[in-house]
Amino acid sequence: MRLWHGRWRRRVLALAAGTLAEDALRTPVLAHLETCAACRAERLALQSTIDLLARDPARAAEPPLSLSALRARVLARIDAAAGQSRPRRPRWAPGLWLGAAAAALLAVAVWWPRAPLAPAPGVVASPPSATVAAEVPDEDFIRHLERVVAREHAARYLGEAGDVLVTVAARPRRCRKGHDHVDVGEEAQRSRELLARRSLLDVHEAAVANARPVLDDVEQVLREVASLESCARRHDLQAINRQVERSRLLLKIGLMTRELQG
Amino acid sequence: MEPSDRELMAALASGDRDALSLLMERHYRRIYRVALSYLRDPDEALDVVQETFVKAFQHAARWDARSEVGSWLTRIGINQAIDRYRRVRRRRASEEPIEDGAGDHDRRWSDSGPSPERQVMGHEMGARLAGALRGLPERQRAIVVLRHYEEMTLEEIARTLGLSLGTVKSSLHRAVHRLRERLGELRA
Repeated sequence: MRLWHGRWRRRVLALAAGTLAEDALRTPVLAHLETCAACRAERLALQSTIDLLARDPARAAEPPLSLSALRARVLARIDAAAGQSRPRRPRWAPGLWLGAAAAALLAVAVWWPRAPLAPAPGVVASPPSATVAAEVPDEDFIRHLERVVAREHAARYLGEAGDVLVTVAARPRRCRKGHDHVDVGEEAQRSRELLARRSLLDVHEAAVANARPVLDDVEQVLREVASLESCARRHDLQAINRQVERSRLLLKIGLMTRELQG
Repeated sequence: MEPSDRELMAALASGDRDALSLLMERHYRRIYRVALSYLRDPDEALDVVQETFVKAFQHAARWDARSEVGSWLTRIGINQAIDRYRRVRRRRASEEPIEDGAGDHDRRWSDSGPSPERQVMGHEMGARLAGALRGLPERQRAIVVLRHYEEMTLEEIARTLGLSLGTVKSSLHRAVHRLRERLGELRA
């Protein structure tokens, strides 16, 4: 009897779970329910459970980030993934030549005072060509200067990005749309300016290679901030702040900035 | 006239970002709710949405034109959610025991109901459901979500999760039975 009833209970479970699709299987179960109070109670309990799932608030939950901010986040991830698979910039890239030229000029400017301005009285001056040959900085020195300048730029960029994120995390002012909106116009504008500078850091990719993961994370968040309207939903801002907190981005920015500054 | 999902997928396969934006607009809420139902954490669910569309962009050329775009995105999303849950579980296992009841995350999203009464109800129910769903093995939970939240047919679930129809049915039975036991008080 127990075994027999156990079989019906399994069928009642299947009926409630919606897996008895065919009428030929459902009809005998429905007929049995007419005669079995325990089975009816069981079916009711199972059906109530399924009804609870239908009332789950998660079914109507709104994403805690606007579509535009989410789109910015997705596009940043796609770009980051594309950047990782892209071959490294060749050594002869124009940006590098410009950088090298700038560094060479800087190097000459640094070295210039050490070159004799005029021969001392009684001292026979060396031929000009020999002096120039001795004072032109070598390639290693130029590369060193390039590296120092690039790392300094990256540190400054990260520092400014950190400032934007701290300002975003602080309670911004309300704006005209009501209490659930905040004014982030200035932060969005600063983010856009920083993003415009971001590509310049790639000119000296090797010098800031160790900062790349932090730079990519910062870029992603800046894109989100940049995509906000000047009077943005507080929800959107909170989602960005949570992302910053979860990834410990401000801590990483601080550590990397110090490392870049040597 | 608005392009169909299939047309958008063709454009996406050639790297069209506008197509991605339109697909996101149409599907991001649904993917978010599926991920939230499974993970019960708004931030993790948002990450799943993000990953889903990144993967959709990267693998658009692999989309089988015989399948529905929405189902294909759901498949990516639920598999991302399962992977993420495994990662979170591993991480938490090394840090602290996994919570079985409502955590801060459940509170955070269930507090956003439209009225105070619904907020209270939503909180209580969301928390209890979260606990009950978390108590299910990951495959059973995925099947419950796809069946009762996404309203997929059993065959679609089998295809989405790469399982046999029999396994889907038996897992769903076990899951409903467990949920019945765990949600007893709330039902009353």
